[in-house]
Amino acid sequence: MSVLTLTNVSKTYEHGEASVQALRNVNFSIDAGEVILIMGPSGAGKSTFLTTAGGLLSPTSGTVQVEGQEISRLSPKERDALRLHKIGFILQAYNLVPYLTISEQFKLVDHVKKEGNLSADDLQALLAQLDISNLVNKYPQELSGGQQQRAAIARALYADPAVIMADEPTASLDSERVAEVGQLFKDLAKQRQKAIILVTHDDRLTKYADHIYDMLDGRLTKRQ
Amino acid sequence: MSVGLANKNTSALKSWHLQTVVLNKHSNVSLTQSLLTQDQLDQAKLSKKEAVVGQTPVAAKGKNLTTVSSQFIGLNKDEYIFKNLPITRGRKPKKDTEIVVDDAFAQKGYHLGDKIKLNDTARKYKIVGWVHHNEINIAPVVYGSLKTWKKLRNVMPTVAASGIVSKRNFKPGIKGTKSYQQQTFIQKLPGYRDQNMTFMMMIVFLFVISLIIVAVFLYILTMQKLPNFAVLRAQGIPSKVLVSATIWQSLILVLSGVVLGLAGLALSAKFMPAAVPMSFSPAIWIPASLGMVIMGLIGAVLPAVKIARLNPLSGIGG
Ligand SMILES: Nc1ncnc2c1ncn2[C@@H]1O[C@H](COP(=O)(O)OP(=O)(O)OP(=O)(O)O)[C@@H](O)[C@H]1O
Ligand SMILES: [Mg+2]
Repeated sequence: MSVLTLTNVSKTYEHGEASVQALRNVNFSIDAGEVILIMGPSGAGKSTFLTTAGGLLSPTSGTVQVEGQEISRLSPKERDALRLHKIGFILQAYNLVPYLTISEQFKLVDHVKKEGNLSADDLQALLAQLDISNLVNKYPQELSGGQQQRAAIARALYADPAVIMADEPTASLDSERVAEVGQLFKDLAKQRQKAIILVTHDDRLTKYADHIYDMLDGRLTKRQ
Repeated sequence: MSVGLANKNTSALKSWHLQTVVLNKHSNVSLTQSLLTQDQLDQAKLSKKEAVVGQTPVAAKGKNLTTVSSQFIGLNKDEYIFKNLPITRGRKPKKDTEIVVDDAFAQKGYHLGDKIKLNDTARKYKIVGWVHHNEINIAPVVYGSLKTWKKLRNVMPTVAASGIVSKRNFKPGIKGTKSYQQQTFIQKLPGYRDQNMTFMMMIVFLFVISLIIVAVFLYILTMQKLPNFAVLRAQGIPSKVLVSATIWQSLILVLSGVVLGLAGLALSAKFMPAAVPMSFSPAIWIPASLGMVIMGLIGAVLPAVKIARLNPLSGIGG
């Protein structure tokens, strides 16, 4: 079943005289349990795609649906709630709140989203799977880039979202870690039935993906 | 300090429970400048709630002691001010050559039984009692007899007093006199108004400055965290949560500031020399503290607006 669907989505950035068409008639859909890679050169529109699909940006035309709900019909508050409950962002920069320890980051989620978060046991299992169980009382800056990345993944998964979106999740990782994170995403998708969208330049991730899309000049095409 | 100084102007008047004061019409509402004749006093039909008072500034000096600029208040023994004189130590004067003085004299080394000169006349007066915090025109009060006042003031024989003080609404309507309400009279005390205005300005500026400091502090704090806030917004954390967190933070900040400030106040009150006119009444520091908290909340408004308007997209980048 399709968790996230984009239908004929276009996005044009208007800047006075100049206008950039960052997405051109994009059609996309992802099912639970799938890992999809979005690849393309810089400026192709990958981030625009991710933020539009994640309900942070309204498309100029076309529709975005998350679990059958059309995002453009939602009020800003409902959109906040949708992001909180359904979508896990894994962002490259400022992913974790620097003045909270890793376990406090989870508590923050508990504070705003009272229900449907991972149980303590599930969280323990996830942290063990990510190999960061012993780091929960540290602050993000005390962790290595790879550890931060995995903590951010745990943070995104904690709210038990249907969709996980990651922008360049392997940018700061060496090949060994890339393989681990790639396998982790694949396992998460299969074991926890998540829909995972990875935006990346990184060819090393391709073997963990179910499908690969190429983004070029705002056009999205499925690689055969 | 503002209250302390204001008290220095009026503490004696407070001890007299002054409601109205009858002065010479042309005295510029000043007890020291006013003169009433015996004739006028006779017409006034005084009750038990009135007292005839003679006021004049004097330089008081005891042998081998420093001069104290003070205000001499001459009283009649059979009237209410003298009868209710709030003596803390010693006794009321019995003879014209005996006086009761304010504690300020004690601080300058004067003792019970000391003989002092007033205005360098040959006559000496003996301290027989003390009053506590009894001041007028920022000077300690020396209580004596009206007879002594006449000598010090060097008045014509027809003149009997400076004015009539009353603890009720007293308007005898005698020719050449006028009756003033307490407020009017106090506002006209020399320098009282200017002084209070100055302090008001200082206090207002202090509040404005602390508002600016709190606002700038919170603004910088918020600006630094803005990228983190943007990510949290992108992750679906409602801006309401972030805004209220910021306001709480500002409240905690200001509250701890106020608590520290009050502690400092209490400490300085303890170690401040008694000569510094300071008064720390709850009537002052409670509104002041509340004012500070309100300033803090106002200071939090700008960062709060900043967060509420924050575009979650800015947290994502590239
Ligand atoms: N806020 C914006 N205002 C105007 N133009 C924008 C804005 N954001 C992106 N663009 C333009 O839209 C196009 C797509 O940008 P986008 O950030 O989606 O590319 P990208 O594929 O993520 O690139 P990169 O790999 O460098 O991150 C680019 O031409 C970019 O200049
Ligand atoms: Mg990008």
